[in-house]
Amino acid sequence: MIRCEGLTKYYGNHQAIADVNFEVDEGEIVGFLGPNAAGKTTTMRILTSFIPPTAGEAAVAGFDVIDQSLQSRRAIGYLPETSSLYQDMRVTQYLRFCGGVRSMSRADVEERMEYVLDTCGLSERADSIIGTLSLGFRQRVGLAQALLHDPPVLILDEPTVGLDPNQIIEVRNLIKSLGGQHTVMLSTHILPEAQMTCERVIIINHGRIIAEDTPEALTAQIREAETILITLARDDENVSRQLLDLPDVVGVRSVGDGSYHVDTAVGTDVRAEIAEFAVSRGWGLLELRPVEMTLEDVFRQLTTEEEGVE
Amino acid sequence: MRKVLTIAGKELRSYFVSPMGYVVLGFLLGVGGLIFALTYTAPQMEADPTYIIRVMVFLILLMSPVITMGLLAQEWASGSIELLMTNPVRDVELILGKYLAAVTLLVIALAASLEFPLILEKFGDPDWMVVLTGYIGVLLAGMSFLAIGLFASSLTSNQIASGLLGFVMLLFFWLIGWLGYNISSKIGEVAKYISVFENIQDFSKGIIDLRPVVFFLSLIAFFLMLSVRTVENRRTA
Repeated sequence: MIRCEGLTKYYGNHQAIADVNFEVDEGEIVGFLGPNAAGKTTTMRILTSFIPPTAGEAAVAGFDVIDQSLQSRRAIGYLPETSSLYQDMRVTQYLRFCGGVRSMSRADVEERMEYVLDTCGLSERADSIIGTLSLGFRQRVGLAQALLHDPPVLILDEPTVGLDPNQIIEVRNLIKSLGGQHTVMLSTHILPEAQMTCERVIIINHGRIIAEDTPEALTAQIREAETILITLARDDENVSRQLLDLPDVVGVRSVGDGSYHVDTAVGTDVRAEIAEFAVSRGWGLLELRPVEMTLEDVFRQLTTEEEGVE
Repeated sequence: MRKVLTIAGKELRSYFVSPMGYVVLGFLLGVGGLIFALTYTAPQMEADPTYIIRVMVFLILLMSPVITMGLLAQEWASGSIELLMTNPVRDVELILGKYLAAVTLLVIALAASLEFPLILEKFGDPDWMVVLTGYIGVLLAGMSFLAIGLFASSLTSNQIASGLLGFVMLLFFWLIGWLGYNISSKIGEVAKYISVFENIQDFSKGIIDLRPVVFFLSLIAFFLMLSVRTVENRRTA
């Protein structure tokens, strides 16, 4: 339902996203996870035909987002990151306006409006002027307009921002219930949100996709340890066992050619001890450095806990 | 067409939930009324509607940038353009919708200003043919002003800047005609041809000539097209 191939976007000299490739199948709920400024919004704006990519192509519901953008836009319900709604309109007026620009019949609009107002918990505020609503309610109006025309594809940019904990749970349940009939792509910088709502997670950082899997598989990849790589000139079979005797070392794995990954407890730095130890054993220490783990770095930047939300 | 009407309806509504619509009507009827009263109470004044037409054109020139300045600039400034443009709406439908709202406000204002010739009718015997052709001229001129103003609004996210820019562009089309009287070369001729003031003259004398009609329609089409192109370009920026 959603397909991106080699999407790249430059703002002037700044590269916002680089060579982004992914696919989302029909009925899937996919989380687009990444820290702030990772390129989530840029990607979503390209998918919704708001901005064109510098290079690469994308299609939604089988329609190219540039050459067939009217058709692709018709298939999308979009909640932008900052849903700037018309402040001077009433909720119902705004939804009727949205229905009008999407060529819905008046009867359809009235019927769907009742449903989306109810689904988004807006029934009591249906006649309020949008400018007088709180941030949480405005976010719900944004969600309501995205759902109004019953689109096959929903693109939701940070759908729970600005909501209180109870509302967050409601919105997540709503999104989950949309899976199956709708293809949902939602962006978030909150790890538990992606774990709770999404069947599959695409992780983006510095404009590049760095991982793509189920939330469970991704979390499993994150070991509760930090890893140091050492390379020895004179390898022998006792190295592993002897290294394990050092304080804070929790695991040692040979990675071949005299190199080892030494896992140490989180928050400790035993590089000096390991170096000293290797030298004293006459192993011929050639290299010692922390292993860079992009995925884990990214996870560290993500919001991993939420107050008040279970 | 439904989309154009939906956008126009939304804009027209917001003219009248904000003070904007009332300010425009109030200015036109208030200032227009004052000038009307001062003009036609002069001794030996005849009930000649020509003056009404000339005053109306000038007042509408002043008000047009105010009517159009927010139409697109506001959308960019508030970010609401994102939700609008990610809907299945063509850029040309967006421009026509906004333009239609502005033109409707103009028509409402012109309809209200018919009180001036009606007052003349009570005290004298105005030539209603001149009123009719004059109002057609004012409408065409006003629609050109609005197209120019809308183009100015498409260029910037700042309402004040877009308003001033529109005003400067309109003054150019208004004042360029003077050049025609000061220079007798070909340039002077051209200046007269593109002057709004010159093109409105016939209308205020009860004549509808094809040339000024074509001039105004071309002006409208040209600036609406420029607005569409600007929106397209800003999308890619």
